[in-house]
Amino acid sequence: MYKHKYRVIIPFLAPAVILYLVFVIYPYARSMYNSLTSWKGVSANQPFVGLYNYVRMINDEFFWNALIHNLQYLLFLPIIIISLSLFLAFMISQRIRFSKFFRVTFFFPQVISIISIGVLWSYVYHPTIGILTSLLQAAHLEWFFQIFGFEGIPVWVGDERTVRIAIGAVVVWQAAGFYMVLFLAAMEAIPQTFYEAAIIDGANRWHQFWNITIPLLWDTMQTALVFSGLGAFDMFAITRVMVVSGSSQTRPADVLATYLYEQAFEASRFGYATAIAVSLFLLMLTLSALTMRVTRREAVEY
Amino acid sequence: MASVTFDHVSKRFGDVIAVNDLNLQIADKEFLVLVGPSGCGKTTALRCLAGLEEISDGRILIGDQVVNDVAPKDRDIAMVFQSYALYPHMSVYDNMAFGLKLRKVPKDEIKRRVGEAAKMLGIESLLDRKPRQLSGGQRQRVAVGRAIVREPKVFLFDEPLSNLDAKLRVETRTNISKLHQQLATTFIYVTHDQVEAMTMATRIAVINKGILQQIDTPQNLYDRPDNLFVAGFMGSPAMNFLKAKLDKADGKLYVDGGSFRVEVPADRNSVYAGYVGKQIILGVRPEDIYDPHYCPPGIFKQPVEGKVEVTELMGNEIFLYITTGEHNLVARVDPRTGARMGDRTQVAFNMNNMHLFDPDTERAIR
Repeated sequence: MYKHKYRVIIPFLAPAVILYLVFVIYPYARSMYNSLTSWKGVSANQPFVGLYNYVRMINDEFFWNALIHNLQYLLFLPIIIISLSLFLAFMISQRIRFSKFFRVTFFFPQVISIISIGVLWSYVYHPTIGILTSLLQAAHLEWFFQIFGFEGIPVWVGDERTVRIAIGAVVVWQAAGFYMVLFLAAMEAIPQTFYEAAIIDGANRWHQFWNITIPLLWDTMQTALVFSGLGAFDMFAITRVMVVSGSSQTRPADVLATYLYEQAFEASRFGYATAIAVSLFLLMLTLSALTMRVTRREAVEY
Repeated sequence: MASVTFDHVSKRFGDVIAVNDLNLQIADKEFLVLVGPSGCGKTTALRCLAGLEEISDGRILIGDQVVNDVAPKDRDIAMVFQSYALYPHMSVYDNMAFGLKLRKVPKDEIKRRVGEAAKMLGIESLLDRKPRQLSGGQRQRVAVGRAIVREPKVFLFDEPLSNLDAKLRVETRTNISKLHQQLATTFIYVTHDQVEAMTMATRIAVINKGILQQIDTPQNLYDRPDNLFVAGFMGSPAMNFLKAKLDKADGKLYVDGGSFRVEVPADRNSVYAGYVGKQIILGVRPEDIYDPHYCPPGIFKQPVEGKVEVTELMGNEIFLYITTGEHNLVARVDPRTGARMGDRTQVAFNMNNMHLFDPDTERAIR
């Protein structure tokens, strides 16, 4: 090899390393430090308070309230999104009629900005002029909701019992198309002969899906699981747009991201907000590592 | 175990006719090879039999049962694919057991059958491995094993050796022949390689452009090809075709190619009588052209003059590429021959093994 190879390597690497240090590593480290202060966000004064913010967080019922909501999303959203998109991808891969049309239609929400989606769905859910409520009223379905203890048709975003279901449904609607395209691409990469061999082995559609498609999509599903899991830990934009912050004392729509935003930019408790952010970061990191570990399989190649 | 019948079977893909009015009767326990150039429809014919393609016309029978509308899994066939199509996420054992599991065969029965097949193929030590940990030859054997455990009536092979290297291919060829004897089941085997066809088949069906050209035993196919295509396809190097005219003089028939004039054995005179004075195509196999010095006795030989353009030493024989007039021909002669590149030389045609073809119909004149 070259004797002085580092003379070449260093100048090429330096710009990227410097940018990364300044804009990624330093802010991370700085946040870690900030979370140990009671910084108000505007003054240069950052009084060091040690782990005070973290102790406060553990005793803050609204922190737990937000975290539990995130965990609820985490429990339901990835499963629903992945099963739905897998189902859609399978149907479309069977070359049903108008499959191209469905493909584009299902993917469409992905190209709309999340803010527009929030606004759009706020109107869908609107208690007096919303299309959903109107349709349910027209179908006289009040009795159905009364079974679950509602007085009539729920007000969706305005009711603490339904607000997270309403928001979750929007996220499913928005994300399913993306994962569908992801799965479709992976399905099309599976050689047709595997299915032919399986057909001759006596496999019906269901066997083929379960024994060939799913195992060979495993890598893609793992990626989808991590992505959608991280998505469930975020939920910031959609929640901010659809729910007026502080509109309810019980904070039924709060997630960690919206709660820390409020703490920082509305209550000027930057130190505390950063502590929440650091916890959120660690939670997401653990989640990804855990998902990758639990779902690890031998890689397949074909 | 069962016979297989293709009864006026056609398969069209849009305007393309892949298989055109195919008629085949394949006897029980036969080893039939479908051979032809790529894109000739042989694989399509096999896939129709497997049920992977629906046929456009005609009937396919396995045994006495018409299987046109029978699902592939109920046809009692097993297939070895060119790419092997081993399920990459399953172990060798699971690959072989998959079809049996789907058929709800009892567990210990599955174990017994997979064990037996693995023993037969010498892959017992590989049962826990995944396909990607196997060599090409091992994968091929697993693919065969997967077919064996099913104990089907008919085995289908779709170019199973084309992904192996030359040496392994020869070895596997013999193994498949042995397997056929051991299992005593109907084998239908698709290949584009006429050597595979010649060596393994009990009968060969030659297909070109979706049409069956001839079906016969390897020896008959080689010795008595029905038409120009079969004559040219079977054998390597291919048969020499020389455009010529049939003449009659002094009660004898001659094939006159301008630069050569060879006499036809007297016993063929009556067969060829109708073509006297007409254009014909003379077919002579390279091994029927001799160096006159090393010519076996007792054959009706006729001399032809020409120029040696290229010689190719194969060790046990030499190929001479000779031009005579407007004709090019290949001779497969004794390696002791004195012919050298650039020489003018004389070779001898063995006229006992000559073939004549009608240039319009391309059919053999018999």
